[in-house]
Amino acid sequence: MLRLEHLVKRFGGLTATDDVSLTFPAGSLSAIIGPNGAGKTTLFNQITGHLVPTSGKIRLEGQDITGLRPAAIVRKGIGRAFQIASIFPSMTVRESLAAAVTAHRRAAFGLASAFPRRDVAGRTEELLHLLGMEGVADRLSSEISHGDQKLLDVGLALALEPKVLLLDEPAAGMGPEERWQMMATVQRLWKSANMTLIFIEHDIELVFRTAEVIHVLRYGAVLASGTPDEIRGHPEVIEAYLGRETEEEPA
Amino acid sequence: MSRMHPFARAGLLALAALCGFVLVGAASPGTWLLDTLTGLFAAGLLVMSLHLLIGYTGLISFGHAAYYASGGYIFGMVLQTPAFVAACGAWSVPLATLLAVCGTGLFALLVGSICARLSEIYFAFLTLAFQMLFVSIIQGLVQYTGGDQGLTGGIPRPAFLGLDLVQARDRYAFSAFLFVAGVLAVRLITLSSFGASLRMVRDNERRAAFLGVNTYAVKVLAFTAAGSIASLGGVVLAVFTSAAYPEWAGWSVSGEAIFMIMLGGLHSFWGPLVGVVAMRVINDVTLLYTTHTELAKGLAILFVVLVLKRGILDWLTDWRKARRKSPSTKEQRHAAP
Amino acid sequence: MLDLDALLNCFSATSCLVTQASTGVIIGMLLFLVASGVTLIFGVLHVVNFAHGAFYMIGAYTAWSAYGATGSYYLAVLAGALSAAVIGVLFERLAISRVYRENLLMQLLVCYAFVLVADDAVKMIWGAEYLAMGIPAEFRVPPYRFAGGVVPPFYVFLVATSLAVAVACLLLIRYSRFGKIVRASAQNATMVSVLGIRVPVYFAALFGLGCALAGMAGALAAPVRSMTPGMGLSILIDSFIVTVIGGMGSIPGALLAAVMLGVTRSFGSLGFPLFVDGAMFIMMVAILVFRPQGLLGEKALR
Repeated sequence: MLRLEHLVKRFGGLTATDDVSLTFPAGSLSAIIGPNGAGKTTLFNQITGHLVPTSGKIRLEGQDITGLRPAAIVRKGIGRAFQIASIFPSMTVRESLAAAVTAHRRAAFGLASAFPRRDVAGRTEELLHLLGMEGVADRLSSEISHGDQKLLDVGLALALEPKVLLLDEPAAGMGPEERWQMMATVQRLWKSANMTLIFIEHDIELVFRTAEVIHVLRYGAVLASGTPDEIRGHPEVIEAYLGRETEEEPA
Repeated sequence: MSRMHPFARAGLLALAALCGFVLVGAASPGTWLLDTLTGLFAAGLLVMSLHLLIGYTGLISFGHAAYYASGGYIFGMVLQTPAFVAACGAWSVPLATLLAVCGTGLFALLVGSICARLSEIYFAFLTLAFQMLFVSIIQGLVQYTGGDQGLTGGIPRPAFLGLDLVQARDRYAFSAFLFVAGVLAVRLITLSSFGASLRMVRDNERRAAFLGVNTYAVKVLAFTAAGSIASLGGVVLAVFTSAAYPEWAGWSVSGEAIFMIMLGGLHSFWGPLVGVVAMRVINDVTLLYTTHTELAKGLAILFVVLVLKRGILDWLTDWRKARRKSPSTKEQRHAAP
Repeated sequence: MLDLDALLNCFSATSCLVTQASTGVIIGMLLFLVASGVTLIFGVLHVVNFAHGAFYMIGAYTAWSAYGATGSYYLAVLAGALSAAVIGVLFERLAISRVYRENLLMQLLVCYAFVLVADDAVKMIWGAEYLAMGIPAEFRVPPYRFAGGVVPPFYVFLVATSLAVAVACLLLIRYSRFGKIVRASAQNATMVSVLGIRVPVYFAALFGLGCALAGMAGALAAPVRSMTPGMGLSILIDSFIVTVIGGMGSIPGALLAAVMLGVTRSFGSLGFPLFVDGAMFIMMVAILVFRPQGLLGEKALR
């Protein structure tokens, strides 16, 4: 589904992405982990078109999408949810989702009927049910809990029916209970929508329990890839996170 | 009522309002009320159309008065052309109104497509620059526009549909119609899917773009619609004064429009109209005691911005919400020494 | 409408060139002083001071009264600058400081309110009729002759003073401790206040300085321009045009743009009197569209 081929990104003297080649099969649930500064978000930014790789290719279903503008990449079917929930504060949860669906159905300029359109409203109810957010549907986005806002953020991306969904730290800023609920929801969404899901996370336990495949980045390069069990015992991965006695963690 | 389609509901309300206005007009003894309301209608159109930009799209335009004035000028200039009146006869006034709206719409489209590329402050300045450019052009083309003096000599207003616009009551009814039509148009836009897009752009333009919305097109379209609706206000003024003046495109007209929106409240649909009325009240009440209306207005603005921190209608809404949430704590507060 | 003959004739006669150019330069210098204030306040505090024209007006009227009372023009200029500074500081403390973090609309409204109040206050104190100061006694000396053209000595004083003051401000902001603190506070006020520095005082002082520039410009303009309540509006618009064309936050840019505009106005009043304003707005539009950071501005802000 999504393939990264020898991706390199340099910022002046700094190599943020160092010859990364990864494959994400259709329908897979993968995680990208690594210590701070390993270049995880930079990788996401290149996939979504916000950064242009210095060299290398990104292919979606075989098609080369390297360097395309973000709007075009969204249209090709790559959705993204953000680390800090990027939502519409003055709109209710229902309205926000409906607006996203409206945009997806190319009705953003519709003047002939009231918002939301009948078919849009139906799809919105589906999404609300999928996300489990019926209870807060009519609350203002700015007034729901942080966890719900992150979920809404994911919901907005889902409304575009993406083939590939990138989640940037879905559990960030959540308490211990909430994180597990979030990841359970993520898994449920992944199964029901039948899409390729890639997420970045810092909480290793969460990653081990949720992902099918884990890719570990370090200093911009792929350190290891494999199933949770394979990664768990991988000596270099352990060293990357815990470091040797005298080594300092990159900021 | 709540089961009704929102558009139908808005339309019914508009019809009821129009009937109400006409009845008031028929019943009113003198012309003071009619004239006052006509003035409020014109200001209301200016302000509600600007509300589409400021309140719903988050676009702050400093030069909105240009489209207001443009409506009046096109209307007046078209009707002052003998060939036009001769050709259109009884349809002259409606057609002139249509031309004013379309012409202004084109003007707004042009300016909007240039300005919408820029962000906040620069957008605001550019709209102001275009407004002042407009004023310069009007003042420069003395032959066509009368320059500084404005369109003089009166505007011919052939009767149509049984309305003789020279009569105060008919003039008032026509203005009421334009006002209701304009406000209805704004209402329908805000209720539509496009209205949701406007709010998306206002709240989080970046995310809206991520969702595939062409935010530039949204902004240009909003600007064009707002300008077109503002032109109706200019037509009302032109009919009322039988002239058109460059002052209608002045910076203070734009500034007062923004202030009226803030005074009434940004966060509700009706806020700006509340602001129009409030401003008029402040003005008229001050005039009873002194000529220093500017001082009163200035102090009123400072009060709203620094003390209330939001418009009247917004403050009222928040107050009612707070009361509903904790009636018991209020009682406690009163009980405590 | 378009009098190109008059314009070309002037270009070919050095006497006309000198006279028009010198007029253009003083218009430009006055604009420059006012625009410096705007750009200073914006560049450091990120506030667009829509009330700036009112301080120009306050400076002019105060200077008029001071000159009438003391007979010394130099004192009058000082009085104008000082009154604008003091009122500016009060305005900043009472109103502007509360809307630093608010959006553009709030800032606009607060300034608009101040302008309304100031215009009426001036009307109440000095009346609504036009006032004129006339060339002060110190400068009632024979004009300089230069290449056949006439240059009043007052013009020279005006240009010299404006330049000196603006350069002094630039140096102050760039190199002095005050300037460094103010600029640092604008970027990260919390950090600076943690160092024990009373940031609000510095902000107020800077705002006052910006207003003082406007006030001084008003005082310098009083001999050559008539005064009326509401005179602040046109200078405000002009100074914004200058600031935008020169670049928000750039004092050298303001100088360049101001002189350009002053000269355009001066020669324009010969060649295309009804379109002088139009020409300036077209320039502003062009800059905003093609180079929004201005001629010498810092970064593009799209």
